Amino acid sequence: MKYSYVKPRKKTPFTPEFQLIIIFFGISISMLMTTYIFLLYKNYTFEKDKMRIVNERLALQKDIELLNTKIAYIQKQKALAEKIYTNNTVLRDSIANLFDLVPERITLSKAQLLKNGLILYGITPNKDVYNFMLQAPLRSIFQKTYTSFYPAKNGWLHFVSKNYMEDDTTDDEELTNED
Amino acid sequence: MWSKKVVLSKIFEALYVKVLVNIIIQKTKTLIYIEVYGRKGVVEHIHNEFDTPTPSQQMIDFITSYTKETPYFYISYLDPSNTQGVVPTCNKNKLAYYKDISSCEYLCFNNSWTFYTSKSELYELEKEQGLLGVDFVFSPFVVLANFFQDKISSHISLYVLILEDSIVLSVFEDSMLLYGEHLVVKITDDEDTFSHVDDEDITEIEDALDENIDLEDIDVDDNIESLEDFGDIEDLDSLEDIEDFSDNRDIEEELQEGDMDLKEGDKEHFNQDYSRFTLIEESVAHYYKDDRYESKFLENIYIADSVGVSYDLKKLLEEEMFFNVYIRRIDIGVEVSEIAKKELGL
Repeated sequence: MKYSYVKPRKKTPFTPEFQLIIIFFGISISMLMTTYIFLLYKNYTFEKDKMRIVNERLALQKDIELLNTKIAYIQKQKALAEKIYTNNTVLRDSIANLFDLVPERITLSKAQLLKNGLILYGITPNKDVYNFMLQAPLRSIFQKTYTSFYPAKNGWLHFVSKNYMEDDTTDDEELTNED
Repeated sequence: MWSKKVVLSKIFEALYVKVLVNIIIQKTKTLIYIEVYGRKGVVEHIHNEFDTPTPSQQMIDFITSYTKETPYFYISYLDPSNTQGVVPTCNKNKLAYYKDISSCEYLCFNNSWTFYTSKSELYELEKEQGLLGVDFVFSPFVVLANFFQDKISSHISLYVLILEDSIVLSVFEDSMLLYGEHLVVKITDDEDTFSHVDDEDITEIEDALDENIDLEDIDVDDNIESLEDFGDIEDLDSLEDIEDFSDNRDIEEELQEGDMDLKEGDKEHFNQDYSRFTLIEESVAHYYKDDRYESKFLENIYIADSVGVSYDLKKLLEEEMFFNVYIRRIDIGVEVSEIAKKELGL
């Protein structure tokens, strides 16, 4: 039952002061939350970046190891190439020397260079020419020299000279130079 | 969204205390009774009085010191309007039979009777109290009915609420209002207060008071001149009824009243009480005379005294009007607060 002639004014706990406090705390909390979320996000991205960098580092380490392996391999290749180049140079010089050794009267038809030896096929007017002009320098280079002759149609002699140095190394590498 | 706000408001309402500020505006001063109402009932109550009928800065500061604690504060006023009253019906078609209340704000009490007040004076009050605000305006008739709710349900009696500058008078029988009137007391401190009273009457009254007249010795017929206005009494058919008066005395009320000390009547209080007595007498005469009201005979008068009436008033009512007079002290601020609590459902 109503007793009062007038209705009471509307009562609300949301007074201007209360609203101000709520707004103040609301803004403060939202700022803190925003900062917290921002830091969470940054932490997440940092962790993600860290993981990525660690993975990259691992990958790079693997790459480095691979590269080191490759470098080592290349260095070996280089060393080998240098060795081959040197050998080739030596061989070239040897061949040049060899051809310098061969006198004009003797004609080589085939030369077979072995690792520790040299096999020469050719034709000589006679054994003396061969013995004095070719065998002598060959003997100065090789420790073992075996020569066999067989006559050619024109009266000259075909010869096969097998010359070996006393080296135990066995290598199947074989270079063939044919005229 | 709205329901969430309501739920939130209910939660906040439960958390806050309620402050009931009850203001009784009198001619020269304002009485304030503040009740702080918590979850476990009244936590604190304060009385104060300010010597101004309009809100002063001091008064506003005093009230604000309590109301600032909570948004749930309610400012209640006891209706100070001079144009207020009651009519013994709630039927809108019958209201005009008793009073033209087209310019009044009115409410029905228990589907039994209507209390009203002037709209313009209500607006005036809201305007005057703008600084404090107005949440409730209660009729003193409601306060009176609430204060004597243990009595109004019984046999017919006259109930009077004595305020500083007004008297609220009602006749109830079995909780039904038969008659009610709001009377303004015009009290002056001048010696001429009695100017409207004949010298002969004063002498008669003083003699009566001095002699401590025994009621049983009074011959009713001798005072019939002063009771001429009571000619329309329906139930007073014979003097046999008068013999039954003693049977209708409220012994319980008398016992309660026994502890109360009434002031001995000095001249100033006598002036005031005589004015009050005159108004009550006139109003009762009006009740008996006016055909619109069911003029049943009154034997008992229950007075709710908020000002501290003197023994003279009781004596005048007993000896001049042959009432059984029962006086209860009333703290009007507390009673207004009770109505406010009822209104708020506390």
